[in-house]
Amino acid sequence: MSLAPYVPILGLFALAAGFALFSVAAAPFVGPRRFNKAKLDAYECGIEPTPQPVGGGRFPVKFYLTAMLFIVFDIEIIFLYPWAVNFGMLGVFGFVEMVLFIVTVFVAFAYVWRRGGLDWD
Amino acid sequence: MNDKLQLPNLDYAALSPMLILFGVACIGVLVEGFVPRRIRHGVQLSLSLLGLVAALVMVIRQGSKDDVVTAQTAVAIDGPGLFLSAAIIVLGIVSLLLIGERSLETGGAFVAQAAVTANTDADRDQAARTTGATEVFPLTMFALAGMLLFCTANDLLVMFVALEVFSLPLYLLCALARRRRLLSQEAALKYFLLGSFASAFFLFGIALIYGYAGQVDFKAIDTAIQNSANDDILLYVGLAMLAIGLLFKAAAVPFHVWTPDVYQGAPTPVTALMAACTKVAAFGGLLRLVYVGFHRTEWELQQVLGTVAVITMLVGAILAVTQTDIKRLLAYSSIANAGYLLLGVLSVSERGLSSSMFYLVAYGFTVLAAFAVVTLVRDADGEATHLSRWAGLGRRSPLYASLFTFILLAFAGLPLTSGFTAKFGIFAAAIDAGQTWLVIAGVVSSAILAFPYLRVVVMMWLSEPGETTPAVSIPGAMTAAALVIGTVATLVLGVAPSVLIEATEHAGIFVSK
Amino acid sequence: MNLSLELLAAAGDVKGGEAATFWILAPIAVLGALGMVWARNAVHSALFLVISMLCLGVFYVLQAGPFIGMVQIIVYTGAIMMLFLFVLMLVGRDSSDSLIETLRGQRMVAILLGVGLSLLMGIALYRALGDSDPKGLTEANAAGNVTGLARLIFTKYVYVFEVTSALLITAAVGAMILAHIQKSPEEKISQPERMLKRFLPGNYPAPKPGPGVFSTSDSVATPARLPDGTPSDRSISKILPTRELTSADVAPKGTEK
Repeated sequence: MSLAPYVPILGLFALAAGFALFSVAAAPFVGPRRFNKAKLDAYECGIEPTPQPVGGGRFPVKFYLTAMLFIVFDIEIIFLYPWAVNFGMLGVFGFVEMVLFIVTVFVAFAYVWRRGGLDWD
Repeated sequence: MNDKLQLPNLDYAALSPMLILFGVACIGVLVEGFVPRRIRHGVQLSLSLLGLVAALVMVIRQGSKDDVVTAQTAVAIDGPGLFLSAAIIVLGIVSLLLIGERSLETGGAFVAQAAVTANTDADRDQAARTTGATEVFPLTMFALAGMLLFCTANDLLVMFVALEVFSLPLYLLCALARRRRLLSQEAALKYFLLGSFASAFFLFGIALIYGYAGQVDFKAIDTAIQNSANDDILLYVGLAMLAIGLLFKAAAVPFHVWTPDVYQGAPTPVTALMAACTKVAAFGGLLRLVYVGFHRTEWELQQVLGTVAVITMLVGAILAVTQTDIKRLLAYSSIANAGYLLLGVLSVSERGLSSSMFYLVAYGFTVLAAFAVVTLVRDADGEATHLSRWAGLGRRSPLYASLFTFILLAFAGLPLTSGFTAKFGIFAAAIDAGQTWLVIAGVVSSAILAFPYLRVVVMMWLSEPGETTPAVSIPGAMTAAALVIGTVATLVLGVAPSVLIEATEHAGIFVSK
Repeated sequence: MNLSLELLAAAGDVKGGEAATFWILAPIAVLGALGMVWARNAVHSALFLVISMLCLGVFYVLQAGPFIGMVQIIVYTGAIMMLFLFVLMLVGRDSSDSLIETLRGQRMVAILLGVGLSLLMGIALYRALGDSDPKGLTEANAAGNVTGLARLIFTKYVYVFEVTSALLITAAVGAMILAHIQKSPEEKISQPERMLKRFLPGNYPAPKPGPGVFSTSDSVATPARLPDGTPSDRSISKILPTRELTSADVAPKGTEK
């Protein structure tokens, strides 16, 4: 297939990469170089570096629930995309089918909401 | 760009059984959200049963009409499809009775909140006091609806979606046992990991077949096999991948390793659902795939699937001999039965189809009755599944021991039970198709398999009851009903099988459009 | 011009930008996959996987499937990788797999069978696809890739598309069942109850001492000192190991220069 439409994206990538490389490479030449021990430490808002939490800092399981719900609705949106682009062609039939789909997925949303899955605490 | 869409014709009457089940499942999820916990169980149970009965009525009404291929070529509602749908619904009703039972144990067989860490104080507290989660009902309905779609899918892509729709709820249901929760969670994880692996193989197979045929519906694949210019290797590799996915669900060796662990760990009503309904769905899908899409590769199929069938029958039978847990024993027996069913698939004839469908129904009823008895033999810690605990059960409660003996004899294939008629039909079909070597292997494995069954029978009747022999609980109305339905069906299909045999023959053959 | 390029691609002659992109990204994708398997740290594994998935997304675009390429990047590298990382953090990023084999020789057998299967598949596909006649997606993409997809989703597969919502509901219900503990109404503490409890005798209503207060260091891991000079355990987070600072830590760091 023709890759012509993607050339601007490639150009943008090249520009972004070039800028990043340029910034890193140019910094030592143009900036002042006055190192001390504090500057070489890991940066933690100016306080003494803190040891790693025990067990690597585990997240509560709530995050999993949120992520899973996000994926469910993310996938719903993926289906919306081809429908929205071809709204004219799909007409009333497509609209009805899409509403049916959204309503069905909304059943899951209602369940999660009523059961307190959206409450953080 | 703006040319109008050719609207697909959807035959809503033909699709109505599935639509009803999906609808009931969605309403069930809403019930979980909006109905107070106290009455949820009753509402869910009656809703699900009503939905299943309504779906059954719609299937029967559709039975008198012509074969329909609807949604362009996606779904084929034909004779065998309707028969298998009806079988799944009826077996589903019986499993639902087991799932809904709450009188054997406080709050039923399911855990109240699966997110509570197992073996903590909170967990012990909820096991003793709270009633089980009622999400199991909508999940079961989703699974059953997916199974219906799986049996009537006329297209590999539809089949894949259906496979996922019925597998996902089953993975979840496996994790919800009230007792021995770590075992149950382990079972669910194993089933899920291996199941997704099998799905991946299936999907890869679809991709290869698409590469070969340029289409994914069965009719087009069949046409492509006749006159495709592509290399046949693509077809065979693709078919092998599809077979891996399906044989995994059917629990055939060497894709069986999940079966004993999952059957043992899952809550017993869910095990019953998997042993009866999933088996029907998996073989329904396999039958349609082979009979409609790939029957022109019969010769190659018979070599490979024949070997799988022989290994399945023998490994299932031999490993069943060494088991000490009744649920694992039934799991290996289910593996061996998958082997017998493969004979029906391999016959690739009208007789093979009808005898396979008969076998699926007969085996489904018997296995439901067997697991119904397993839920009854329990002590304070829940079900007593170790075989040593069953010693002397005949003295303690002769009625249930007799029922279980009858069920085991049916598994062993003794005359006057459905096991005999079913095996006879499938072996006869295989001999018709010239598969004598498979039948010999089948008879040998049946003989081996009779040994573990008879060992349980001997143990129940000829041993003295020990101190650890549990009493058999009085079944609640629903378990009793399931047990009676299963046992009576086993007896009737053994004594007067002609009604069901006629139905299977009347169902005709798969439609190929 | 475009048409001739497409015809060239259809004839199996991969040229120019397409070939260059493929040959640059393919090794990166394979390296990412290997890195995912071999990385010791689970988070590194996940990030290697991101690289692989991004490359795959570009491949899909390259093969005339822009929609699936974007879905790969949005859903997989976006949402599903986020889920992966959350799950890794759930388990703890320092926890690693146990490398003890429960079945002896299992790893060797798995490697052998895996390599065997890949070789078998690879050779079979190489032979099968050697003389096949690829059609390409020109015909399917005639009205545009997304339009072609919409046409299929809303005609032949419209029923399956609706059934997919069952899958999504099951996923949401499953996540709720397995990860959400519903509190009973009596377990929920209201704000007045919280306040009453806070000011009950025996409780300490004032804010906890902040780390570093009256202390020799400003690390959050160093306990604060109460006015009488004793270190207060209440001041440091429970998940941090208590840390005594060495003299090197507290020595002036020359920032005054």
